[in-house]
Amino acid sequence: MKPMLSTDLNVADTTVEKAKIEVKDLNFYYGQSKALKGINLSLPERSVTAFIGPSGCGKSTLLRVLNRIYELYPKQTAEGQVLLDGKNILDRSQDLNLLRTKIGMVFQKPTPFPMSIYENIAFGVRLYEKISKAEMDNRVEQALKRAALWTEVKDKLNASGLSLSGGQQQRLCIARTVAVKPEVILLDEPASALDPLSTAKIEELIDELQADYTIVIVTHNMQQAARVSRQTAFMYLGELIEFDRTEKIFTSPREKRTQDYITGRFG
Amino acid sequence: MSTAMSLHQRRKRKNGVMMALCVIAAGIGLAWLALILGALVYKGLSGLSLAVFTEMTPPPGEAGGLLNAIYGSIVMTIIGIVVGTPIGVLAGTYMAEYGRFSKLTTVVRFINDILLSAPSIIVGLFVYELMVRPMGHFSAIAGAVALSILVIPVVVRTTEDMLNLVPNALREAGTAIGAPRWVVIRSVAYRAALSGIVTGILLAIARISGETAPLLFTALNNQFWSSNLNAPMASLPVTIFQFALSPYEEWQQLAWTGALIITLTVLGLSIFARSLTGRREDR
Repeated sequence: MKPMLSTDLNVADTTVEKAKIEVKDLNFYYGQSKALKGINLSLPERSVTAFIGPSGCGKSTLLRVLNRIYELYPKQTAEGQVLLDGKNILDRSQDLNLLRTKIGMVFQKPTPFPMSIYENIAFGVRLYEKISKAEMDNRVEQALKRAALWTEVKDKLNASGLSLSGGQQQRLCIARTVAVKPEVILLDEPASALDPLSTAKIEELIDELQADYTIVIVTHNMQQAARVSRQTAFMYLGELIEFDRTEKIFTSPREKRTQDYITGRFG
Repeated sequence: MSTAMSLHQRRKRKNGVMMALCVIAAGIGLAWLALILGALVYKGLSGLSLAVFTEMTPPPGEAGGLLNAIYGSIVMTIIGIVVGTPIGVLAGTYMAEYGRFSKLTTVVRFINDILLSAPSIIVGLFVYELMVRPMGHFSAIAGAVALSILVIPVVVRTTEDMLNLVPNALREAGTAIGAPRWVVIRSVAYRAALSGIVTGILLAIARISGETAPLLFTALNNQFWSSNLNAPMASLPVTIFQFALSPYEEWQQLAWTGALIITLTVLGLSIFARSLTGRREDR
């Protein structure tokens, strides 16, 4: 566990640790409408950052900029800079597929591919690596163990990924993401469609994964943000209102809007 | 209280009347279908024998079978499907995947819908002008081309519809793992939509195996066995058309039997297609 730090310093301003991702003056548009307004943010390496805020505040949008998945849709445009290890990923020369192998993503609804459990994981690995059957077996096993799913599925790896329960499917998606060895994992409300028990498992998993990965989680659930994240960004109407250590945000936020939101006065 | 009761009574009566009308309408529809099927089985079954599948269409007044017509139908249907399916699937894929947001897709969809409901005789005339006239004679290949033109809009439509049913989240998931677009389409979208697309192809087979008009202008007919694609070829629908209109009893009987064979084939394909979609919905 992390020691509780009672500091008034804003991590956004004084990051001592290495920043994995730096967002600089980011604006985002859906057609004409501006969804993100001048976002500046720095996400430290190997820790969990939560984005919170009411629906439509832009937190998912911000997440979807980080792996440029928004580019699947025309009329969605981003301007500004997003630096991954100091390199601007919004640059036109950025290879999108390579970017996405470095920055994995797990979605709100579980999205197993229509294939076997084994294939769900092997699929992503096979895209960029040529490895033997034995190595692949090992890779699949490691990924499933990492996602705390191995014991539940080890006897039915050839069953369809769709045959699993919702919580298992979501862990399969996490396993699939981990298997391609990303550096960053983006989680878009990963537990909002799950029951409390599955949610607890996912949260436990996030806690373990932060030893190796930089994790960004969007969540509606403030308790969840408080439980899993080290720093929290509060967003409202497309703006980043406050970004600080999670304890600070939830105990003594600087901004009144942050306080109103976390105490349930709106949102 | 009383007004509430009477309102309720009135609603119940209205419901009863509407329900009765619906049942009658459904009954009328089904009755015709049952009559047609009944007549087909009654008249066709008596002529069904091994000879139908082993002998050629006979001259008037002699016994024979439908072998050359069945063979012709199968050959032209297969070529029609083999030519039409890839074009249809690829066009549907463009519309649902690459061109989802493009204007071209709207235009293509509109034209495709027109083609889908165009009378098949027009397709026959089109291929007549396109192939039969320049070649100077009727041919099986022209018939197959006419059938493939009928296949395309059916397959385009179902492919697009089925791919549109694949949730975007699944495409995003494929993309998010680093798969290029074509891999996402091939390994994720196609796989998710497979049974629907196959259903569309089966329905296209069902549709063209009963088509007469486009073949009349293209493959014409052939009294004899022919496997030459560059020559006129017999087919079940055209043979039925010709034999049913003839004054000869043997021919009329063969027409009934041929009609039964086509109907049972189409029925079988439809049931198979249904069972495929059914399984899809179970998941």
